[in-house]
Amino acid sequence: MAGAPLEAVRRVPLFAELDRHEVEQIARLFKERRFSEGETVVREASGGAAFFLIDSGEATVSVGGSERATLKAGDYFGEIALIDEGTRSATITAATELVCYGLTFWDFRPLVQGSGPIGWKLLQSMAKKLRAAEQTEHP
Amino acid sequence: MKEVVSLPKARDTAIFGSKAVGLGDAARAGLPVPPGVALSGSIVDAVASGEERAIAKVAKSVQRLQVPLAVRSSAVDEDGAEASFAGQHLTLLNVPSAGEVTSALKEIWWSANSDSAITYRQRVGLFTRPSIAVVIQTLLDPDVAGVMFTKNPMSGADERVIEASWGLGEAVVAGLVIPDHFRLDRSGQVLERKAGRKSIAIRSVASGGTVEEAVSAELVERLCLDDGQLADLGRLASRSEEIYGPARDIEWAIAGGTLYLLQCRAVTRAGT
Repeated sequence: MAGAPLEAVRRVPLFAELDRHEVEQIARLFKERRFSEGETVVREASGGAAFFLIDSGEATVSVGGSERATLKAGDYFGEIALIDEGTRSATITAATELVCYGLTFWDFRPLVQGSGPIGWKLLQSMAKKLRAAEQTEHP
Repeated sequence: MKEVVSLPKARDTAIFGSKAVGLGDAARAGLPVPPGVALSGSIVDAVASGEERAIAKVAKSVQRLQVPLAVRSSAVDEDGAEASFAGQHLTLLNVPSAGEVTSALKEIWWSANSDSAITYRQRVGLFTRPSIAVVIQTLLDPDVAGVMFTKNPMSGADERVIEASWGLGEAVVAGLVIPDHFRLDRSGQVLERKAGRKSIAIRSVASGGTVEEAVSAELVERLCLDDGQLADLGRLASRSEEIYGPARDIEWAIAGGTLYLLQCRAVTRAGT
């Protein structure tokens, strides 16, 4: 099947409320993207319109030039850009040959706009994320 | 429509983009264009999505082309904005085999969806889904290549301006050399010949991609076009204006003694 592996998509919290059929619809929209070692995947403060799931390889996350984390297979980044068209909050650089599955804003938006149930479940996921963030800030 | 057609059949810019249709116009008019195919934006999208049927269709269509291949984006965009996206959408020179076309198409699709392309789209108020058609052609191994303006783009004078260098024309387009500079009048009479400093040439390499090669010392400042070749270019300028209209910006190459048209578009910085 074209698209990203179903199980990898299901593990993304944003999609946690979706049923199998809905996850399948989203997984089909992903496109493979390969990066060479050292290549910049996304750049901090740049506009972004794609969400990436790492299939294989490793990538480093840096903010303001200092390295913060390493990402590996199964990790993901950029999911908020799918919704708010906002700028990137970190720079991600391929530390090895990196294979990702990417989902663009353009492919994701029509699916959500055409499906009330998917939209509602995404809203629930976002609300949970917001509540968790608030509890961290004001325990 | 998920279409692949030979260049002479590329007629609709909304499907194949302006670059492909421009080459289609040239091929239909009998101008010397390297053999190639045009891919619609939707089939490029399908290949990038990993659709087996689309991948097989493209693979079959490029089998007849002599390798290596040049895979170039041909943006299908609002208001024919091809020129606006120059530098945003990828061109892959020297794809060494038909089997590697799929990954080349994926790279080109993502070049239009990269963060830098998206940022650019937001900045110019074109925040819409990009549609990327593609042209795949046999990559020439030119002795000499460059650009030609059928009207002087700086002064606006009614004369041909030619800039030329050794090897692939990307050395001229990317400003990697000081190219030889020629001016011709409309009859083909040479008005000026000025040797540049062509220290490097871009050549394709067997394993794929291109390399910058040092030019031998005796060729660095030697004119790379003779009178016969300049006459051929003068005729190509006249014929291109007949087909496309006045004030054209042409990319050309000479390989194996034959002059080829690689691209023809309107001059975007015509003088007064």
